[in-house]
Amino acid sequence: MNIPSSFVKRGIAGVLGTAILFGGLAACKDSFLDVAPQGQQEATAFFTNQAQAVQGVNSIYANLRAWPLAAFAYLAVTTLTSDDADKGSTTGDASFLNEFDTFTFTSAQTTIESYWNGQYQGINLCNQVLANVPPINMDGNLKNRLLAEAKFLRAFHYFNLVRAFGGVPLVVTPSSVNSTPEQLNPVRATKEEIYTQIVTDLTESSAVLPNTYGSTDVGRATKGAALALLAKVRMYQQQWNDALSLSEQVMALGYSLAPDYEAMFRVAGENNSESIFEVQAQEIQGNCDASNSQWAEVQGFRPNGWGFFIPTADLVAAFEPGDKRLPATVLYRGQTTAQGDKIPDNAPNPYYNKKAYVPGPVGACGYGKNQNIRILRLGEILLINAEAANELGQTAKALADVNRVRVRAGLAPITTTDKTALRNRIWQERRVELALENGDRFFDLVRQGRAGTVLRAQGKLFVDGKNEVFPIPQNQINITGGVLTQNPGY
Amino acid sequence: MKNFSHFPPIWRLVRLGMLQVLLSCTLVGIASARSGMAQAILERKITLQVEGQTIKATLSQIAKQTDIRFVYSQQLIGAERKVTLRAQNEPLASVLDELLAPLKIQYEVSEDRVVLRLPSKPTSANVSAPQDITVTGRVLDDKGEGLPGVNVVVKGTTNGTQTGGDGSYTLTAPDQGTLVFSFVGFNPQEVAIAGRTAVNVTLAPDTKTLNEVVVVGYGTQQKRDVTGSIASVKGDVLVNQASQNAVSSLQGKVAGVQITNNGQPGSSPQIRIRGTGSVLGDPSPLYVVDGTFVDDISFLNQDDIASIEILKDASSAAIYGVRAANGVVLVTTKRGKAGTPRINYNGFVGVQSVTNKVKMASASEYATLINERNAAQTLATNLPSTDWFEEISRTASVHNHQLSMSGGSEKVTYSVSGSYLKQQGIVKNNDYERITARLQTDYNATDHIKIGYSAAFTNTRSNDVPADQIFYQAFITPPVLPVFKANGNYGDSFDYPLGNFANPRATLARYNQRSNNQRLVSNVYASINFLKDFTFRSSLGINYGVGQYRNYQAKDSLTTTQFRQRSSLTSSNRKDSRWLWENTLTYDKALGDHRITGLLGISAQRDQYNQIIGSINDVPYYSESSLYLGLGDPTTARIETPADKYTFASYFGRVNYAFKDRYLLTATLRFDGSSKFSSANRFGIFPSVGAGWVLSEEEFIRDLGVFDLLKLRGSWGRLGNNNIPSNIAVQTVAVGAGAPYYTGIFGGQPYFGGNINSLAARVLDWETTDETDIGLDLGFLENRLTAEVDFYNRRTNQAIFDIPVPGSNGFQDPTTRGNYASLRNRGVELSVRWNNQVSEKFSYNVGFNTNYNQNKILDVDAIGAQIYAGNLPVGGVQTTLTRPGLPIGSFYGYVVDGIFQTQDEINASAQRTVAGLKPGSFRYRDLNGDGVIDAADRQVIGNPNPRFNYGVNLGFRYGSFDVALDVQGVAGVDIYNANKGVRYGSENFTKDFFDNRWNGPGTSNEYPSAALGGTDLNANTWYVEKGDYIRLRNVQIGYNLPKTVVSTLRLQGLRFYANAQNPVTWFSYKGFTPEVGQLRGSTGATSAGVDLNVYPLSATYNFGVNVTF
Repeated sequence: MNIPSSFVKRGIAGVLGTAILFGGLAACKDSFLDVAPQGQQEATAFFTNQAQAVQGVNSIYANLRAWPLAAFAYLAVTTLTSDDADKGSTTGDASFLNEFDTFTFTSAQTTIESYWNGQYQGINLCNQVLANVPPINMDGNLKNRLLAEAKFLRAFHYFNLVRAFGGVPLVVTPSSVNSTPEQLNPVRATKEEIYTQIVTDLTESSAVLPNTYGSTDVGRATKGAALALLAKVRMYQQQWNDALSLSEQVMALGYSLAPDYEAMFRVAGENNSESIFEVQAQEIQGNCDASNSQWAEVQGFRPNGWGFFIPTADLVAAFEPGDKRLPATVLYRGQTTAQGDKIPDNAPNPYYNKKAYVPGPVGACGYGKNQNIRILRLGEILLINAEAANELGQTAKALADVNRVRVRAGLAPITTTDKTALRNRIWQERRVELALENGDRFFDLVRQGRAGTVLRAQGKLFVDGKNEVFPIPQNQINITGGVLTQNPGY
Repeated sequence: MKNFSHFPPIWRLVRLGMLQVLLSCTLVGIASARSGMAQAILERKITLQVEGQTIKATLSQIAKQTDIRFVYSQQLIGAERKVTLRAQNEPLASVLDELLAPLKIQYEVSEDRVVLRLPSKPTSANVSAPQDITVTGRVLDDKGEGLPGVNVVVKGTTNGTQTGGDGSYTLTAPDQGTLVFSFVGFNPQEVAIAGRTAVNVTLAPDTKTLNEVVVVGYGTQQKRDVTGSIASVKGDVLVNQASQNAVSSLQGKVAGVQITNNGQPGSSPQIRIRGTGSVLGDPSPLYVVDGTFVDDISFLNQDDIASIEILKDASSAAIYGVRAANGVVLVTTKRGKAGTPRINYNGFVGVQSVTNKVKMASASEYATLINERNAAQTLATNLPSTDWFEEISRTASVHNHQLSMSGGSEKVTYSVSGSYLKQQGIVKNNDYERITARLQTDYNATDHIKIGYSAAFTNTRSNDVPADQIFYQAFITPPVLPVFKANGNYGDSFDYPLGNFANPRATLARYNQRSNNQRLVSNVYASINFLKDFTFRSSLGINYGVGQYRNYQAKDSLTTTQFRQRSSLTSSNRKDSRWLWENTLTYDKALGDHRITGLLGISAQRDQYNQIIGSINDVPYYSESSLYLGLGDPTTARIETPADKYTFASYFGRVNYAFKDRYLLTATLRFDGSSKFSSANRFGIFPSVGAGWVLSEEEFIRDLGVFDLLKLRGSWGRLGNNNIPSNIAVQTVAVGAGAPYYTGIFGGQPYFGGNINSLAARVLDWETTDETDIGLDLGFLENRLTAEVDFYNRRTNQAIFDIPVPGSNGFQDPTTRGNYASLRNRGVELSVRWNNQVSEKFSYNVGFNTNYNQNKILDVDAIGAQIYAGNLPVGGVQTTLTRPGLPIGSFYGYVVDGIFQTQDEINASAQRTVAGLKPGSFRYRDLNGDGVIDAADRQVIGNPNPRFNYGVNLGFRYGSFDVALDVQGVAGVDIYNANKGVRYGSENFTKDFFDNRWNGPGTSNEYPSAALGGTDLNANTWYVEKGDYIRLRNVQIGYNLPKTVVSTLRLQGLRFYANAQNPVTWFSYKGFTPEVGQLRGSTGATSAGVDLNVYPLSATYNFGVNVTF
């Protein structure tokens, strides 16, 4: 056969070219396909050094400012349900919130789910730290302190959950892709088991946390914070001896009542001599996402703020004449504040929460982004101490505590020694001292066993034996395939 | 091919003349040399009469009469073929000519034998044999116009040429040779030269479409050889559609392809092939434009498209392996053809306007409803009314111009085009501009080496509007709000006791965003043909895009809710690049009855994307020129740099085998690796096999005389879907600039934080889709009637789902991803087409296509084996349920049994314990009869997956006029009208609601009162509506100026057309459009068909002109 030589050449060229290109492409395959995630830090490289341990703990504090923990969900569940607050804003605005005012919410209400998820998001951040920081090679004292901070914050979140729902899933280790289906889908623990965990966490953290911090760490959990929260928890458990001794331990730590009640709630009054624990907020103009607390924004007077969760007429009437705490708690329509802000005469609501008032123009990141959320302060500890003392028959001690608070408010001391009467006076004092501050009122009414009586008197459809706790979110029951059981009546 | 161009012209003529003389002498010489004995034999007389008798028998009869012997191969000459012949005392020569010439059998007399044979294959020697003559001529189409680019080949040789711009050609050929004229879309024709030097031919359009060549992955194939299900749409069909995106033009044209349009200029329609086969993310098909993988084709001007092929089944798509699970759309752009340059202008101008606008309540109606809702005189009922849709929308203009030129020589062909599109949005302030430029060249470097490239560059520019928000705002904003107050300020919801509403006009006025994107999609290749049957091809595709946008929010105070204390500027630059290098080796061989094509390939791909987004406050506005980040307050500067990168390496092969054109086999295998998966399980194997049997080639079918085509085909294959984000199985950390909300504040100072707040996906593997397809292709009545039927069964295994994780795990994102489910799409597709050329002047065609698809979840590995989704932003309402046995994302909720008319009815009902229930609320059916209405009383109340899609396409041509009409529709689908139930408070109502609401005992037992809220908002049957629709998709009337007029204008063709797109849509759904994609703000097929988007339909009317120079 006569084959032209060019044909052969072409053939060889073709075969060679094919071989080279195929071969070349095949050879590079292994490294070619290893591509790490771009612009993201892998978890395997996190929680490996001291700086990252600190970052992990920072995130738990930061999360306390998140929307479900600081704004609608938290305020709707803890405050709007009480006799202290109405929905506020305009009639049609966020009218679903009325369901909390009237107790017509059902298990489908997502605001309740938001509350649930928000608390657990905080718990996960704590669990991540508690699971991942111990193996890190770092300063031992700092490590212990960071772990104690995380335990304090975990207890704080569980306390919010157990008061709202009763028993909830007890998650103390972080879930991961390696978790079993059972670990990912825990059943509800009992209310007692949750309280046991809270007490353990607070007891352990109070043993480690320092009394105070240097100026660059102000806002971190202190020994006082852990003891104060534990005292409060013990009060909710009616463990009066513990509540008494713990509150006394706090009182011995050097806190003192701030002389001016109202000034405590201005930005300048943050972290004052009375303050035990506050959620720290700060407007950072270049980073509005970090200035994300909307606690003051949703409550601020309209139109600067959103004007929700306004004082009820019943709350306004609850203050005794001359109580300095009333003008510190309530802003009135048409009022001009000492700082020169005028509440519009046509503002849609008669009252606004003055504890959420931030003077001056709206900031670059929104209204009231500098406002800390006051969680625990000496005023409350005195009232815990008073309540515990009265229950234990230590009337004089109880009266002394209550009167310290009253005197600062410009009121005359009380003198009743009747246990029941004094209990009612302490409860009343607790209401006006802490009104619209940190959402204890509804839980207090439940704890005091009079929620139905008090709330129905306000026209709310509170049902005894049902509304003491909130429904487990139906969505969560769906997701868990029914592993979570519903609270009675829902 | 012999070429005389090296002779001077006169010498050429002389030489030609001499050659002819020489040739005829030679031939005479040969003939006379034979004359001796042979002549005598050939003059023997024969009388014969046969009818339908085999050649063999006929020849033996002749042999007896003439006493000669025939020598032949029965098989070679096809001796079993039947012939009819009549001869009365005629010479053998003429009898044999009459008998054998039509059968193309040659004979030669040698002594007393006649040897029969087929024409000998010419060798290179006889191509340049001296009997060659120069043949010229012109090839015309059925309309009498010159056809450029027609292949003209001397039969049995490789000697050929192509016609030029006017259809003329010149070539050298043997004077007794046969010329074969072939051109895609026309029936090939063979013409004997018979010594003529001028051969003019008119080609008839190929109505059969059976010899049509379709583009398949990495090659082309004759349609009749295809074993899979491939739909092919030619470019001229698209041109009839004056739309801005070619995918949109496919709507209603192809069985099994569901297209959902989006009215926003520059946006791409959603396309689903054979149902929703994938759950997570984007179930869009893979687009391959001239071999380059792209994510969408909005960068292409559809005039540049030669054809679009949709690979629907596994047999055809499996060559694309892990990227093919959602089907493959192959786009082939136009390439130049040899001939004089062909210059074409096509342009249209048009208007778009909103249709099917939902009528909203007027101010007085609204006030009445609000007063009823609040049971108080909240609003006066005589306030002036604002129609917010009217305020934000407009009649918008669109115009598009394209100029193209193509041509070339035998060596080089080229095509160049440029286009300009300017489209206004139907929302005020929204406009879009697109410039495209394309350049393409193919170069035959030698007879065996070919190189070429194509490059398409696109620049788009737009003024944006917040399209997602604006229609929603117009829907909900109370009509009592004026656009402007008496003092000139924007109407402000603060002035009314209604809650916070944005003024939609203010929203538009303050929104200042411009986008500008450039994209280059290019491909360069070289191919070498060697060892006769092998072709090696290497191609490099580059897809490179850059985009900028800047958004400026001025310091303003428009209304109480729309104000900004400090201005803010966001500026973004992004760059994406993809290269794809592919090498293929093809083997193509025909051996007798066997035809085999083999393909081996290897490919590597890298995709990379980077973006820098910066933002800053206090940038002053002097003009657009001052909008730069450098002019802002540096303490407020923020920067983000999202990025992504992934790679693929793949090996693939395919064999096509055909035996006797009857039995067809296709087998493919692709081995794909992707960096998106961890190294342990990164490679997957995707096989497929397809078989076809062309029954109409079989004697027993042909004898029926019914079928022009009857082909049975079947295929099975496995496809993959890696259309998921990169590295999702890697646990990452929320830290740094990506998690600013984790900044801890201590002592008033920020300290950066980070933590693990997500659950890495439990992705073990990609999704695989196993698909079986059985199809039948039919042709009747000379192929005027054709039909295709396909049955398919697609089973998606290891479908990647976002499944919810219990909130107690505390993750920020309450879902996690993994291979959590399997699902099935089963269906039938049917297309029928009737083509009829009634006369020279009149022809028409009718096409109908439909598909029935059934979607079903087979298995879900979620907790509780079910997924609730379709979450509405209010009241915790979940509208859909996905669980085994149901179609994906089925609507799930309560059954409405009427409206409570009185409190007594409530007190006596199962809902009596529901707090706050009032007359005018929904009465739910107690499905389980336990006397309580709770979560257990819910059931499936609708299916968002369409069961039927159909299209009807009509075309008429009468003389110079043509009309095209397309109707398209969807049936058997439900929509969840969430617009009715997402109520925070005082949102506006529709007029329909006002007219039909309950407002006192006996007023309605269907519509609730204006106070609907609480449990009324739970998913229930009142919100589920039929989503069926029929649409007049496109009507086009065209007029081609007569040839005589056109030629006096020195043009090749001139056509005017008018076109209406979506002029009418019929539907009963009470929302704006029955084309509902995804629930606003959600991802994944578990939340499809939930309407909270209310983007109205628009109709487009265009007028255009198409000129060929």
